[in-house]
Amino acid sequence: MPNVVLRTENLTKRYGSLTAVNNLTLEVYEGEIFGFLGPNGAGKTTSINMMCGLLEPDAGRVWIHDTPLDGDDKGARSRIGVCPQNVVLWERLTCLEQLQFVGQLYGGRAGEARRRANHLLEILGLTEKRNAMARTLSGGMQRRLNLALALIHDPEIVVLDEPEAGLDPQSRVGLREYIRSLTREAQGVRPKTVILTTHNMDEADRLADRVAIIDYGELLILDTPETLKQRVGEGDIIEIRLSDSPADMATVIAALAAIAAEVRWETAEHTLQVRALHAISKLAELIEVLTALDLQPGEINLRANTLEDVFIQLTGRRLRE
Amino acid sequence: MKLWNVFLKTLREQVRDPLVLSLTLVFAPLFVLVYHLWIPSGSMMYGVLVINQDRGVLLNDGTTLKAGEQLVMALNTLTYANGNPLLEVSRLDDRNAAETRLRNRDTDALLILPPDFSAALSAAQAGLGVDAQPVIFVGDLTNPYYAIAAVMVNAALDEFIQIATGQPRPLRIVEEPLGASAARTEFENYVPGLLVFAVIMLVFQISMAIAREVEAGTLRRLQLTRMSAFDLLGGTSAVFVLIGVISVLLTFAVAVAIGFRSQGPLWVAILIGAVTSLSIVGVGLIVVCFSKTVTQAFLIANFPLALFMFFSGVIYPFPRQALFTLAGHAVSLYDILPPTHAVVALNKVLTLGVGIGEVMYELIALLALSVFYFAIGVWLFQRKHLSTR
Repeated sequence: MPNVVLRTENLTKRYGSLTAVNNLTLEVYEGEIFGFLGPNGAGKTTSINMMCGLLEPDAGRVWIHDTPLDGDDKGARSRIGVCPQNVVLWERLTCLEQLQFVGQLYGGRAGEARRRANHLLEILGLTEKRNAMARTLSGGMQRRLNLALALIHDPEIVVLDEPEAGLDPQSRVGLREYIRSLTREAQGVRPKTVILTTHNMDEADRLADRVAIIDYGELLILDTPETLKQRVGEGDIIEIRLSDSPADMATVIAALAAIAAEVRWETAEHTLQVRALHAISKLAELIEVLTALDLQPGEINLRANTLEDVFIQLTGRRLRE
Repeated sequence: MKLWNVFLKTLREQVRDPLVLSLTLVFAPLFVLVYHLWIPSGSMMYGVLVINQDRGVLLNDGTTLKAGEQLVMALNTLTYANGNPLLEVSRLDDRNAAETRLRNRDTDALLILPPDFSAALSAAQAGLGVDAQPVIFVGDLTNPYYAIAAVMVNAALDEFIQIATGQPRPLRIVEEPLGASAARTEFENYVPGLLVFAVIMLVFQISMAIAREVEAGTLRRLQLTRMSAFDLLGGTSAVFVLIGVISVLLTFAVAVAIGFRSQGPLWVAILIGAVTSLSIVGVGLIVVCFSKTVTQAFLIANFPLALFMFFSGVIYPFPRQALFTLAGHAVSLYDILPPTHAVVALNKVLTLGVGIGEVMYELIALLALSVFYFAIGVWLFQRKHLSTR
């Protein structure tokens, strides 16, 4: 049984008539990367703020290990490091100065804060910029410094809000590797638990050990990415793009349903989505049926279920605020 | 310790924003220089136009008395205690032209001497009945300089009539100036107000600096640390009190360099400036509680600034309506404004030459207001910006 590092119990927050978070109960295990997903306005930020002690719940409680998180308990609060989505830096302080400053505010001694700041600057490739003011850094460097500030006090839990936003592919790959490394035991550094909030399903799929999806303030599902993907349906997905919309869609779907487990027409993309076990072996048969119905298949893609399928299935396609 | 960390961090940020810092520091010294350039002699000269219609009078000894001419010459010789001229007297014949100049505020007062001015004086000296035309003062009563110029001319006229008619006053009137106020130049009178002005401007700096933390989201980051509201506000405030003190020192240095003379001990004036900085910073903390952005802080800070400027006596004396008396001092509503006490205390020290003992009431009032505003600021800041509800 894994150790529970953070637990929320019936966490609820209301703003007037709006219930931003409703009875959120979940457990985050020590050393895992926990993906926290949801559409805009789903209640992610409110939940995270309550988990960090920045917001008091109207009902329910947050526990860090066995200690309830009290709004005034700065000790418990400082066991969490938060890397906000927006770059939050002091423009006129150097990289080293702001890391030292925050490190000392967390209670670290000057020497210790300096040592840790230099260590983080090195890991995140900012050593050469240690004496450069934050406003002179490139966007990617600022994002890395933003992350370093969340880690300067060596927290047990690190909350990363959209950490890959605004990063180039090289930085993204490097960051993913670094996030993974955070959860591993390293010399002199204890493994951390990472809570990752993101819209990027690929990021969550690649990184997260478990994923929670919330919407309208409620937890919809919580499991490993693999299990979640299986829940959408067994088998792979074949996407067949047609040049024209079929006149009799019901006939097309009925004909294909005899071969596949699930058939869906995506109007906007002029695409038939066909889910089937051993999909590749059924490809020729599907094309035959379409040809018999006088339909010309265009581009054909074969792919496995993704977290995005899970996400869309659970939260719908309607645009949010 | 955390307060010290915040102090160092804020100090670094301020030093690295040299434009804003230098503007804050040189604001008052620059004003002192500008005032000095405006009144290079150190004292204001009040403009007086004279329409001298006096025809003179032939005396018994065959000479002609031209009292109007003599009066104009007497007005020209009026000086301040330091010898600087008091009036700038010009002659004119056309009343319409004179009134146009008054309306345009090119001059401050118009004196019209009647044609029988000399005749009337001569008759009065001979003990004969006098039925002369009046001496007329013309001026814009809303122009504060008119009042001063008219009083000066009136006093000179009174003196002149007394001598010319040989009729002494039944009572002697003696003016006894407080402290060294008689020896003060106009420029020196402005300096205490300018010093307070320098400190008042801190309300913008402190509120904008903290609002920047709110707007940039760095406050949220700080909220996660073990730092308290007192650490943040105390550390930040200390920097701005320091800037205030430096600004006061610079202002004094410039003022003294161009001729300002303090009648009392300068260190007491500097102490008053420092304590005033503390209280203004306290007000700035309250401003930031209602601001989420730097722009909002700037706009809201204008409100206390206007109160300080117009209701505390910084620019001009404001009528005090006493609510009650405390330790022998009348307390009015405006006493909740720190600059009110600062202006009084600085005036006492710089102009009247008193020591620290005589400004203790004002210093205690300033300290009490500083603690009061700082406490309200911290309390409000916790509720508005650090609340977890």
